[in-house]
Amino acid sequence: MAKILIAEDERDIRDLITFTLRFAGHEVVATSNGEEAFLRTQEVKPDLILMDVRMPRMTGYEVCKKLKEIRELRHIPVVFLSAKGQEAEVQAGLEAGAVEYILKPFAPDQLTERVNALLEKYKPSGESIETPW
Amino acid sequence: MSAVIIDDKIVHYEVLGRGKPIIFLHGWVGSWRYWIPTMQAASTSYRAYAIDLWGFGETAKESQKYSLEQQTELLDTFMNAMGIGKVALIGHGLGGVVALLYANKQSFVVDRVMLVGLPVALDDLFERFGSTVPSDLSSRLLDQNPGADVARSEALKADEKAIRISLEDLKYIDLLEMSKQISAASLIVHGLNDPVIGVPDLSSNGDLPSMLHHIVFNESGHFPMLDQPNKFNRLVNDFLDLEPGESPQRLQLKEEWKRRIR
Repeated sequence: MAKILIAEDERDIRDLITFTLRFAGHEVVATSNGEEAFLRTQEVKPDLILMDVRMPRMTGYEVCKKLKEIRELRHIPVVFLSAKGQEAEVQAGLEAGAVEYILKPFAPDQLTERVNALLEKYKPSGESIETPW
Repeated sequence: MSAVIIDDKIVHYEVLGRGKPIIFLHGWVGSWRYWIPTMQAASTSYRAYAIDLWGFGETAKESQKYSLEQQTELLDTFMNAMGIGKVALIGHGLGGVVALLYANKQSFVVDRVMLVGLPVALDDLFERFGSTVPSDLSSRLLDQNPGADVARSEALKADEKAIRISLEDLKYIDLLEMSKQISAASLIVHGLNDPVIGVPDLSSNGDLPSMLHHIVFNESGHFPMLDQPNKFNRLVNDFLDLEPGESPQRLQLKEEWKRRIR
């Protein structure tokens, strides 16, 4: 089980993601705008952040950039939820410090599979991920 | 999806596992996705990367980057961006050509290279391809293989120019001679029933260098990794498990690979 923070201003999508990830056994902290996401991240220190790009108060880019400026939070992987066909949005997200993006719309089982893969990929470990030939 | 920005453009990649790095390079039809089963098999012991080349999958479609030189440059820049040092390359079709060009150019960073469906015999390559339209190639090469659904859907994302330009560039390269010259352990693999890539008779080319070996899948077409996944994945793992500097010539096709459980 992991602690995942979601930032999504569209309630239906937020509820669907929350339900899906809780059903998969994760602890979910749901937020509805960028400012709330930024403040809650500092409180809960999640293992993973799933964040929409376009949100009120602070955009996803702004939140991501601010998180990367904070030493104890910059390691938290940020994944943007981006609509298909918004390549410029994806690129700006990566430049802001996100590690990946998930294209919307997505099926709940795909989301669970993807999130579990991301948690495995970015889990902190003392072991070296890559060893030399 | 994971991506890096190269020359202000998105380059899509995925990575699985921990261990020595391997990079999988897709061919003219499809994207990184058809490598998933092979990556999963390899990722129990290795760190398996796969990238979408320029014009394929989710990577940017930029026609000025479709030359073989630019695709090879992409591999080099990607490795630098990821901090990958010495690497094993596994390429298929176009990816095999890129892997070979890279191994030839940067021999000191390539530990071994596996070239699947390498178009060694170029004489009638264009006639064999017939068309460079992704949907036409997908129909011809993926046949009715039910395991190829992912490759089929991904094939349609490719930019036709990326296929055509890379094929045109091939006219000026002697891939067989180049593969004989690289010092890293090299394994060339073909599917006997491949409708576009002819199977060369490498035994008629004199003795192959000790670090080069050729294996033919008698029951496969253009996609041995999809047609005979168990045999293919076992061969990949056997190749990766060779000691550094060991000749690949002892390798042979074996039945399903099973990991020993202690």
